Parts: sequence; structure tokens; C-alpha cells
Amino acid sequence: MKEPKIIEYDALVIGAGIAGGETALNLANTGYKVLLVEKDHSLGGKMILLSKVFPTLDCAACITTPKVSEIARHKNITVFTESEVTNISKESANNFVAQITKKPRYVHVDDCTACQLCEQACPVSVQDEYQYGLIGRKAAYIPFSIANPKAAVIDIENCTLCGACERVCPTQCIDFTMETEYYELHTKTVVLATGFTLFDPIEIPRYGYGRYKNVITSMQMEREIAPTRPYNTILRPGDGKVPDRIAYVLCAGSRDNTVGNPNCSQICCMYSIKQAQLLMGALPMADITIYYINIRSFGKGFEEFYQQAKSMGVEFVKGKIGEITEKDNGDLILRYEDINEGVVKEAEHDMAVLSVGVRSNPTIGKIFNNGALKFDPLNFVAQEDLMGSPSKTSIKGVFVAGTATGPMDIPDSILSAGSAASEAISYLTQHQEV
Amino acid sequence: MATRINPRFSEELKKYGAINMNACYNCGTCTAVCSLSTTDDSFPREMVRLSVLGLEDDIKTSLKPWECYYCGECTTNCPQTANPGELMMSLRRWLTAKYDWTGLSGLLYKSMSLTLFAMLLVFAGVLYFANSVNFNLEQMLHTGHIFEMVAIGTIMFVIFVPNLLRMWNFTVLKAGVKAPFKTYVTALSDLFVHMFTQKRSKDCDEDDSFRWLEHFILVLSYLSLLFTTVFLNWFGTGSILIIIFGYIVSFLIFVVTVDFVSSRMKKKKSLNKFSQPSDWFFVIWLLLMGITAFMVRLFIDLNILESNKWMYILHLTVLAQWALIIVPFGKWTHFLYRSFAMYFSKVKSMALE
Repeated sequence: MKEPKIIEYDALVIGAGIAGGETALNLANTGYKVLLVEKDHSLGGKMILLSKVFPTLDCAACITTPKVSEIARHKNITVFTESEVTNISKESANNFVAQITKKPRYVHVDDCTACQLCEQACPVSVQDEYQYGLIGRKAAYIPFSIANPKAAVIDIENCTLCGACERVCPTQCIDFTMETEYYELHTKTVVLATGFTLFDPIEIPRYGYGRYKNVITSMQMEREIAPTRPYNTILRPGDGKVPDRIAYVLCAGSRDNTVGNPNCSQICCMYSIKQAQLLMGALPMADITIYYINIRSFGKGFEEFYQQAKSMGVEFVKGKIGEITEKDNGDLILRYEDINEGVVKEAEHDMAVLSVGVRSNPTIGKIFNNGALKFDPLNFVAQEDLMGSPSKTSIKGVFVAGTATGPMDIPDSILSAGSAASEAISYLTQHQEV
Repeated sequence: MATRINPRFSEELKKYGAINMNACYNCGTCTAVCSLSTTDDSFPREMVRLSVLGLEDDIKTSLKPWECYYCGECTTNCPQTANPGELMMSLRRWLTAKYDWTGLSGLLYKSMSLTLFAMLLVFAGVLYFANSVNFNLEQMLHTGHIFEMVAIGTIMFVIFVPNLLRMWNFTVLKAGVKAPFKTYVTALSDLFVHMFTQKRSKDCDEDDSFRWLEHFILVLSYLSLLFTTVFLNWFGTGSILIIIFGYIVSFLIFVVTVDFVSSRMKKKKSLNKFSQPSDWFFVIWLLLMGITAFMVRLFIDLNILESNKWMYILHLTVLAQWALIIVPFGKWTHFLYRSFAMYFSKVKSMALE
């Protein structure tokens, strides 16, 4: 391993999703120098990939992209993409030492014009993770159309090193000699904004996800209805048919002890209702049915949003889906108990969307020396003073923002980011001198 | 009519084995994944709900607990680990207690010590009897044979017939079903099919039908052994065919029950995870019945029973405990209630048509 380059910032923010980005902006606008570390190729986290947001139906990309641009261009913010913090040790109250690994992108971002010639030249096709597997991408590719930085990436694991991209690149920004860089960061405070992971419904074999092509996750449907969508219309993946009967399976991986997650994920009811409304717009003739245990429309404007979906004609059926079976033509049969009637029923749908829940992101588990960072039983970052200072963690000077603490929606993530930023600023002003 | 709920019912049901039923949040997963649940007969969630509310009368009029064969899918998939499968099992125990006019079933289900005491009492009775005939083998074998016949007749008419009538009263009459006599006759075929084949349990699609096959062999072997010892006088007969037949069936009982006991010990399937004393007594005594009957006949054939009378006393003890406690008041009765439940359910559905 090479000697790490030593760098210095006032604050380290881990995770450049909407919570981390907001925290970084708040800190930077106050005059502090921030290092924003993101493991992915783009800023914006999950929000930038969403269609619209509940309950206002604002365009998610239209909120995220200006914010992301501001972060990327801010003089007080330095962004490290493709980077991971591997270790943090607290040397003194205002000296945290973090080891950062920055993986090579094999593209000089500053020179790339995102012309996509490399994409066209690349002979390798693999599943596109930013479209959640709905379509393919090349091994030399722009992550997604509104990515930031908008520059090509070489997927070195799938790359055949044929050099086709290098030959067509008009700015010669592709560079296969790039190597992993190591940094040793000295910083005065740390904010964790590592977000969440989505539940993988393969854990519930009864739902047939992975076996039945027309059973998709809510994130896949989110991509299908987003402005930067892959198909430019709503199609079911099995045979490309425009679906007439779409079912939503709520609590897929939430409130379910059999998959080790008794928590309510807090967002699934509302994003499913949102998607249902958007689908009614996109496919006016389609029947949308939402199968639920309880509809939890607890936030401001949420209940009205729910009622609005009902009045638009979205059908709500009380009863959790027990199992899904596939017919020869790809249609699905959903078996459930209609709780209001107390009777087992089977319903046929063209497509089923599993409203997958929120799980903790396991990657930050071991980065702090001697396990000083505490976690709650479901592996979210523990909030030591939940009622008083919800952004404080078990380590003084380390704060937490957004869904790293547990499931929450976007407005709450932004609020949480504001709280983490002001706690961090207060910590920085209290620990001025070294 | 106003319905009174009874939250304390769950305390009562817990004594019969129910676990965690109050955790149910009524999602219906159990009913939806149940292989036996149909649009006309949806369970187990309804029974969980009735139990949580303590609506005893509704439970008593329901045949659904007997329509459940404990495939275990509901329990495996319950998001709240409320264990609906075990609740259904507990309801069957509770219903057995309710059908029994003597009330002894309930007492024995709930009290392990009372069951043990009754077992010991029977053992003492057997010893007392053996002593009173001066341990004369001939006399003991003869009386043992007579005892079997008397016990079967008495239990049938004093316990089972009234209990089945009570079951009929609860589940058909009180449920408000008016079925013409003809339906009772036409539905009879269902009674016997279910009694001798337990074919419904084959619909549990969790694994292959091995569990059904085992149970089927056990039932047939048990009934055959009963027939062989009581009506063909296995211990007294000279017919080589009957002797060999008896050996085969008692051996089969032993083999199957050993597997039943070991799977209850291994607790791999949800069906086997929770065992009440009544379950243990049932399988172990069935096992003992098989092995002691086998040994007694073997001792007779080897001509060593005369010098080993204890073997017969042991067998007689197991037999008497079986016949006086487990058959009339224990788990044995599920043989009747299950098949009669399928029968009554058929009658009900025919009457509704």
C-alpha cells in the first residue's frame, strides 16, 4: 500500500445522499471546509433516482439536481466519489484521523464531456444497477443521465480491456493507469449520513421475486415512472406488455419477524400511494390495487394524499399477500385473506410491485476503532439522546443524519441533516483550538 | 345481540398450549399461506381473532380447528411469530375438553401431575388385580382379554357417543344448521374416508406425503392390532397367520411411533416444535403398546412368559392406562373428532346447498 496523502478539513461527511449533501451544504455555507465522501459514482443517493415525492408530487430530480450542483460547485466542499472511509480514530476532542480509500474511476472527470462515445464503442453489456436491473448498460458508461459528476466510469470488473473506449474518446480522458489513492484525513468533526439499504425480497421466496419476471420491487417501479425512465413508458419486464392490473404488496420485508425486521419502514405506504397516483396518470385505464395491513399516513398532508388516491380510483384491500404464483402467460395470482370479509381470495394481476422496506446500511459497522460507535438492535446508528439531541451518537464529535438512524422520509431526512449540521457547527465552535 | 368479549380466555387457552396469540396484528398471512384454507372455509386467522376476543361460543360452534392439519406454514410465515398453528392445536385440545361431558379431559390436559397420578392409580389397580388372582398367568390373560372388550364397549357408549352428540349439538344444532336426515346418510362416506385415510392431511404441501403415509400406516396398524388382540385373541390363538399378522402390525406401530417421538425431540418442523404432556403420553404409550404386545407374544412363542409374568403385567398396565386415560380423555379422541368434523362439515355444506 502506498503512503497515504495527508489532508485536512474541518468536517468529514460520509455519504452524499440527500441527508449528507444537505449537511455538507449547511456546514459549508457557515464557512467550514467539508470533505464529502461518497462510495458511489454520483452524488444524490437514492433520492436522485426517484420519480416524484410524496405528498406534494414534486419532481424528485428537480429538487435534487440543483442541490447536487450546488454541492459540487461549492468552494468549501470537496467531493470524493468512489471513496470509502475505512477507519476513523479519535485522537483528541477535535482531531479525528480518518483513512480514506479512493478507487480509480479510470476517467479524468475534469476532462470528460459526457459525450457518450465510449458508451457506444464499448462491446460489454451488463445489468444497469441505476435502473435496478430493468435494462443493461455498457462497461464504459455514464451512471445515469442526471448523475453528478456527469462523467464516464469504467466498470473495471466487467471491462475486457479492449481499449475501444480509449480509442474513441475525443478528450483522451480515459486512463487505465489510474490507481487506488489513499488519504489520511485530519478533521475536527464527523457526520455519518450513510443512509439505508432496501430490503431484498429474495428473502421471501413466497413472493417469487427473482423467479417471476413480473414481480418487481417498488424501486424498479420508481425507475419506470421517473422522468429518466428506462422504457419511456410503463411495461412489465416479463414480456414488455403494458400492464392493466397492477398490485402493490405492502410490508414486503417490514413489520415481519420472519425476515428479522419487526420495524415499520415508514415510507412504503406513502410511496406506494404516490406511485399508484402516478400510474393512474400514466396508464389511465389500469387498475391499481394496494394490499395492506394498515395504511400509515401519519405525516403532514399524508392522510389527504391517501384519500386523494382513493378518490382517484386506487383500490385498497386490507390483507397482506400470502403468496404469489405465476400463470403460463406471465400473469400473477396473488393469494390473500380479505380481512374485512375474513375470507381467502385470489386475485389476478399483470404485475406485482413489492413495496420493499428500509434496512440499515451495514457498511459503517466497523470503521470506528474499538467499537465506540453504538448501534440499535436493528443496526441503525444509536441516538444517545433521542429526545434532546437526536443527531448525537455515542461518540462526542460524531453526528448522524438521515436514515442512518432509522427509516424516515425525505422531509425528515432534511430536518435531520439540519440538526446534524447545527450540532456539528456548535461542536466546531466549542472546540476551536487544537 | 350484544357480544361480550372475554380477554381472560387467552389465559385459559394458554394452559392448553397456545403461544403468543395476542401478538397477532391481523394481516391474514396465515390464512393466505394455508394449504387447506379455502374461500368457503378460511382459517386460521379467524380462530386467532375469536380466541383473542375470547368468543367461546363462536369457537365451540366452529369446525375449523379440526379442519386444520397443522401443516405448519402459518406458523413458519407469521410475521408476528404469533404461532397460529399451535393456537389451532390448543383449540383442538380445548374443544376436546369441551366436548367431554365428564370434564376429565380438561383436567388431565391442564394438569400434568393429575395425569401422572391417574397413571399410577391404574398401575396400582393392575398390581392389585394381579395379586388377587395370585399372579396366575392363565387368569390374567383371560381377564386382560375380557377387560379389553369391556373397556371398548364402555368407552364407546359411555364416553364417545355422548361426547360426539355434544359435538354435534355445538357444531351443527347450535350453529343453526337444519340438515335433513338424508344428508346425514349421504355424507357418511366422507366420515369413513376421513376416518381411515386422513386424506386431507395430504394437502399440506410443505413437503412430500411422507408424514401422511406414516400416520396412515400407524392408524391402520393400530386398528389392526386392536382387532387382532381383541377379536382374534392374538395372545391365545394357535393360527400362525394371525400370529404373524400381529407381529407385523405391532412392529409397525413401534417403528412409526419411534419416528414420531424422535421428530418431537428434534423439533425440526413447526408441527413438532411444541409438545404438550398429552402429546408425549399419546405417542409414548402407543409406542409402549406396540413393543409390549410384541414382546408378550414373543415370550409366549418362546415359552418363557410363564417365568416372566412381569412382561404381561407391564403390557396390561400400559394397556389399562391407554384404555382408561389416553383413549377416553386424551389425544386419542382426535381420531373421532377429526373425522366427525369432516362429516359434520359435509352435512353443513350439503344442508346449505
